[in-house]
Amino acid sequence: MSLYEVRKRDGCARIGLFRHGDQEITLPAVVDTDDLFPSLRQQRFTNVPLGAGADFVRAYHIRGEGQPAAVHPAIENVVSSGDCVMVSNWHTALADPDKYVKWLIRLKESIPPDTAWYAPASALPGTLCMLVYSGFDLFDFRAVDLRSVQGIFCTPLGEFPGEVMDEGLCGCEGCRQGDLHLHNRLAVQSEAALVRNYIRSSHLRELMESRCRADSSQVAVLRRLDTHYPYMERRLPVVRNVSMLANSAESLNRTEVRRFAERVTDRFAPSRTDVAVLLPCSAGKPYSTSQSHRKFIATVAKRAHELIVTSPLGLVPRELEGVYPAAHYDVPVTGYWDREELAFASEVIARYFARHRYSRVIAHLDGGSRTAAEMAAEICGIDLEVTCRGHPASGESLRSLAGSLEGEPGKQTDMVRGVISWQFNEVIATSGMYIRGRGERQAVMRGKVQVFSVDAGTGLLRPTFEGWKMLGRGYRVLIDDFIPQGDVLAPGVTDADCSIREGDEVYVCGRMAEATGRAVMGADEMLRSGRGVAVRLRKVKKL
Amino acid sequence: MISSDHEKPLACWISKDLYQDEVLNSLTVIFRTGGCAWDRCTMCGYRHERYHGLSGSDLTARLLSQIAWVMAAFDKDRYQMVKIFTSGSFFDPDEVPEPARLAAAEAFSGKVIIAETRPEYVDAERLGAVLEAADTGAWDRPLYVAMGLETTNDQIREKCINKGFTFEDFKHAAAVSHQSGAGVKAYLLMKPLFLTEREALEDMHHSIQEAAPFSDLISMNPCTVQSRTDLERFWRQRAYRPPYLWSVLDALIRADPHVTCDPVGGGKMRGPHNCRHCDREIVDGIRTYSLTGDRGLLDALMEIDCSCKREWEYLLEEEMPSWMPLTR
Repeated sequence: MSLYEVRKRDGCARIGLFRHGDQEITLPAVVDTDDLFPSLRQQRFTNVPLGAGADFVRAYHIRGEGQPAAVHPAIENVVSSGDCVMVSNWHTALADPDKYVKWLIRLKESIPPDTAWYAPASALPGTLCMLVYSGFDLFDFRAVDLRSVQGIFCTPLGEFPGEVMDEGLCGCEGCRQGDLHLHNRLAVQSEAALVRNYIRSSHLRELMESRCRADSSQVAVLRRLDTHYPYMERRLPVVRNVSMLANSAESLNRTEVRRFAERVTDRFAPSRTDVAVLLPCSAGKPYSTSQSHRKFIATVAKRAHELIVTSPLGLVPRELEGVYPAAHYDVPVTGYWDREELAFASEVIARYFARHRYSRVIAHLDGGSRTAAEMAAEICGIDLEVTCRGHPASGESLRSLAGSLEGEPGKQTDMVRGVISWQFNEVIATSGMYIRGRGERQAVMRGKVQVFSVDAGTGLLRPTFEGWKMLGRGYRVLIDDFIPQGDVLAPGVTDADCSIREGDEVYVCGRMAEATGRAVMGADEMLRSGRGVAVRLRKVKKL
Repeated sequence: MISSDHEKPLACWISKDLYQDEVLNSLTVIFRTGGCAWDRCTMCGYRHERYHGLSGSDLTARLLSQIAWVMAAFDKDRYQMVKIFTSGSFFDPDEVPEPARLAAAEAFSGKVIIAETRPEYVDAERLGAVLEAADTGAWDRPLYVAMGLETTNDQIREKCINKGFTFEDFKHAAAVSHQSGAGVKAYLLMKPLFLTEREALEDMHHSIQEAAPFSDLISMNPCTVQSRTDLERFWRQRAYRPPYLWSVLDALIRADPHVTCDPVGGGKMRGPHNCRHCDREIVDGIRTYSLTGDRGLLDALMEIDCSCKREWEYLLEEEMPSWMPLTR
């Protein structure tokens, strides 16, 4: 009997606790699996390559008794929650990024998520990040030990002849003792520790974008995984409260970026659709705290709907400027937009204006953002009024902008309606609502009743019981007949709206209680797991 | 019909072989035939070399033409032994019609003939006819039936090679051969698909021991990656690595009878190889051993100081069916 429980997720990667016999290990980790699973050394004549056909696999694949459970992508595997899943011969998969991704997705989609994933003989300082990013948790020392026997010095960014050990490239215990075997083992363990910390800080993607550079196969796996949007999106938290560093070309294809844009074009309900003004982004976030945006806001004076054109997100309506990753991203600013950025941003803008037909669209933009807007206007057939004269925040530009807005009616920006539409895919009536408080503790009131609070870290709205009454049937988690205390665990969930993602605000209801809370895992994982916290509750009401 | 006047065998050459403590010149002929009837072994690329859709008489004509070419190209005095390969079975009447088979026997009469076949075609009458046509009284054993037993382990032969016959089938065919007055040569395959280096080595060790009582000659073929085979597909997927030459040496050293070995493709990625530094010396040494039976040479080769030997020793201990192959 073994147990695995996820404690922290970062996309497909997890930190979890694995219990087997009397051993308890925090994963991801590199361990001596001969100790953990002595039966593995008894295998004889059981090899079945990953690329073998289904008939052959059915005839020769052996799951093994107890732990770990050997699995194969060509068949339906017999795995239960808590098992350790061993994907045999995974070390050969990286040679073919296309198959790597196909096999991974097939296995992940058919095996319960609360299982520990073991990739035998695969972990090297240079591959560990990729493996964990893919959703593997458990590793052994075989690959590094082989490198030691071959006289190869391993680092996360490349392998070198063993002689480099004398150069002070690394200061580990092994290097001090001139012990290559020890160095390589410490190097892979140190990389595992680094990866764990990147998961803890919710920045593993950034590490992955950096680590993959030494190996074209890894770059290919990263890019191919990004093309599997529904698979990746289900595993991604809806928001985070940490920065998102968009420092590489791959950042543009992050699932977070595409999801934000899709919700802007498909879900978002704008405060008004008569006059739009497109504004450039600012380094300071949220934009409205920056000097340039304070000037824009004062100049526009509520006479137009403010939409910020930016890379890599494309378009950020003012209402959503506090929502992840709009308030959290950082990009290297050079003023130059490459063609990928232009194509992505212009497509988002075009989709937005195709959906919302404004009577006027003012482009208060210059440089790349203006080019993106012009490309979008071309695509969706709208006319742009350009008000920029030199720098957008220059006196002349601002006067031009003010002039063009003369006579337009003023209208309040409806942050609550905008965020609710993006977050819950619902349009609610917000008349009579107002925001009370400042900074970290903002509450949305209707009369004397609080309906939402603002999560300053992520920009999401947290509905109270009163708030949930204003929303439809979505984002609900159904539970069994019990009164939950603090958390709802996965086995207690009987159904969940499939649009729920980790980090989403959810309404928990059962016959004995209702509750408000935040999803700790996505709906898919809630329904397929037998273990782990599904929802962290804020308020519980007995029924 | 295309003219069959100028048919040539797929390949034909003269080399040397050790036979009953004597080094003979031997002619190897690979005939193009109707092709192997089984046609599904995982490592075999020869099976693609065949005539398609010929009638029995057309096939006979092509084979007679090939035999005529060999007789014209190689003076009969230049060799004492003939090794006949057909990419299938010399004794399969559909693949090699009887008139062509007897013509070959007659053409090579007076030589030691070693002809390859699957065991199901070993039939006393067919062997008798070939013996009658070939035997001039020059040799005790003018004919050897050579069979690709590959391994004595039926599970491995089934799963890893898909050979379609059992050790019992081989033993039966060997008995028929001996009763007919023919000798038996067994081909063993070192490291087919799906085996770790250690599993392959142990399998070869056992196979030599177990095949010896039924075989007069044993030849060990270290597996090579041929084109258009399942083996090649898995090799491209990094799911297969040919055996180390260290394993080949180890198997030869541990073999009780003299086992011959020609490491085809030795030192190449597609053939048995070590690390590129020590390959050539070992391949040459194994070829020499096949001709001399000098076991001291094998021991000396095994003592070559190359860093890849530690890698091989590590693999023997650490490579397992769930994580293999660990090297390329």
